[in-house]
Amino acid sequence: MITHSIRRRLVIGSAAITATALALAGCGRSEETPSGGSQATTTVSEGPATGNLTVWAMGTEGENLPKLMQQFQQANPGVKVSVTPIPWDSAHNKFTTAITAQTLPDAAMVGTTWMGEFADLGALDPTPQGFDNESFYPGALDTTKVGGTQYGVPWYVETRLVYYRKDLATKAGITEPPTDWDGLKAMAKAMKEKAGAKYGINLQPGGSGSWQTVMPFAWSAGANLTNEDQKEFTFDTPEMVEGLRYYQSFFTEKLAGTDLPPNQTEAQFVNGQVPMFISGPWMAGSVAKLGGDAIKPNIGVFEIPKNKTSTSFVGGSNFVVFKTSKNKDSAWKLVKFLSDPKTQAAWFKMSSDLPAVKSTWEDPSIASDPLLPVFGKQLESAKAPPAVVNWEQVANAFDTEIEKMAKAGQSAEDTAKATQTQATSIGTGS
Amino acid sequence: MRRTWWIYLIGVLGLVAVAAPFAWMVLGSFKTQGELLRVPPTWWPEQPTGQNYADLFSKANFPRYFLNSTLVALAVTAGNLTFCSMIGYALAKLRFKGRNALFVLVMATLMIPGMVTFVPLFVLVTNAGMANSYPGLILPFLVSPFGVFLMRQFFSGLPDDLMDAGRVDGSSELGIFARIMLPLTRPALATLGILTFLGSWNNFLWPLVIAQTENMYTLPVALALYSKGQNAQNFGLLMAGAVVVVVPVLVMFLVFQRHVTKGIAITGIK
Repeated sequence: MITHSIRRRLVIGSAAITATALALAGCGRSEETPSGGSQATTTVSEGPATGNLTVWAMGTEGENLPKLMQQFQQANPGVKVSVTPIPWDSAHNKFTTAITAQTLPDAAMVGTTWMGEFADLGALDPTPQGFDNESFYPGALDTTKVGGTQYGVPWYVETRLVYYRKDLATKAGITEPPTDWDGLKAMAKAMKEKAGAKYGINLQPGGSGSWQTVMPFAWSAGANLTNEDQKEFTFDTPEMVEGLRYYQSFFTEKLAGTDLPPNQTEAQFVNGQVPMFISGPWMAGSVAKLGGDAIKPNIGVFEIPKNKTSTSFVGGSNFVVFKTSKNKDSAWKLVKFLSDPKTQAAWFKMSSDLPAVKSTWEDPSIASDPLLPVFGKQLESAKAPPAVVNWEQVANAFDTEIEKMAKAGQSAEDTAKATQTQATSIGTGS
Repeated sequence: MRRTWWIYLIGVLGLVAVAAPFAWMVLGSFKTQGELLRVPPTWWPEQPTGQNYADLFSKANFPRYFLNSTLVALAVTAGNLTFCSMIGYALAKLRFKGRNALFVLVMATLMIPGMVTFVPLFVLVTNAGMANSYPGLILPFLVSPFGVFLMRQFFSGLPDDLMDAGRVDGSSELGIFARIMLPLTRPALATLGILTFLGSWNNFLWPLVIAQTENMYTLPVALALYSKGQNAQNFGLLMAGAVVVVVPVLVMFLVFQRHVTKGIAITGIK
């Protein structure tokens, strides 16, 4: 009775939840990998959306989305959208279980790093024609592409910049934010020597997600995580080593600390202990919440300093339609509505999620903000990790090697080699 | 008295170790996010605020989540007390063919980690049309192999003479179980009750996965939803939520724990 495909989904679904995920998810796939072809041929029909639509969205997005859906329902009187907010904790489990049991909603918000896995499980519907892909940031658009096929569209984005204390920078004699690697190093040094900081800059010395701070430097040095067709990892390259060596030098020169308590980035920034860090747009809010009105005018951001390029990390979420949906046509109309520049602006005002559509950034609510336009500029060249099935696993291995490099003095060359060896044995999974 | 001071010392140290995190949680629920993140941390809230609680109860449907959690936990507890004691009694005291094989089977299911059966169970429940419903939340947990094991072991310790006495006096088999044997297992029932209630009350993954709409969420799921974002956490809200979640469990424990000790003293013929 149980067909091969159901059994396969059972295996992968269980695996994703249990600790054996690492071993099993790698070998289950293959036959069902979506067939090639760059863009699906189906198109979204004209006319308003109709029927019932169920939508999943995580966290605050899930809380705020019903407000936006009212606008959609006004424009399409025949449709009823019910939004289920999903906690970020275990949201991934909820999706993989639902994929296994085929109890998916019509459309959902999906984290950019899950795209490869979900597409490989055959859960996502390829994006039909009629979407203006030119309107999105290219780095964000790349996160929707798995093996040459596009699934869903970028919904909102975030990228990483260097944050700094303006007042302390002045004290350290820095008048212009640095634009190159030497400049950043000099600034961190000045912060430490002249502005009384314990460390010049807060860099994550390994641990979960530290690759997101390392890769902007490596990307800027010209490194890539995979080769062109995303089949092989390319960690062991001179460019990657250059990025890693630069990152490590902050630790060896005592400009960044390995002895700081974790999760205190905001506090250390506010009390001047560590007046610089690299992070995303949400940190401006967290710092202001902690430091109050006094800190607000002193928060400054600048783009990732340039080596060959200035290339940061792009994250965020995509909006997808699931293959199992019985109302795909209307679901795609909803996705289209969400990626409309006007909707994107309205959504920014409700959620402060940064729009994935470039033209929305001209909206006065964003353009007049003191910090946001810098994010917009960085986003134009920002890159995403490859949408391959095993990326999260490889990222974990990378994080561990980064920790060895920052804390135990493992050389940049050895770090690159060790990561490459592990990444090759894990494989891309596609 | 002279030599017992160190017993008190150990007791006080233990109490501090156990109670301090609770005190921190309760106090933390009255702090602002800024104060919670401050280094060095503060113990007493500097500017006590009720905002976290106000946020908590204004966020969507908190009474509904509370109701869901309570309903599910009570139903699961009642089910476990009823069925586990019945099966435990049968396995311990009634003689029938295949009794031991049955017991081994129950024990075997105890050895399988829940995570392994998670997805198949979900598929089963969904195919039975119970996704997003109370039966879906309750039914899979109505009886637990651990409960059966606990009750069987306890019934085994009760003397058969009590049953014989009941039979001589003309009681029915059901009467012997319900009127004579079951009341004697009160400490075991209390233990099972507390453990089951706690397990169900704190269960996170199953309600998250089985609930398809927000109005079927239980407290832990709702708490995770509202206090944790993709990149930032609202610690104040999390603390306030944790306090609200913990209170019913404490009450439950206080109600049941009296029976745990009381029962031992009144067990049967010796």
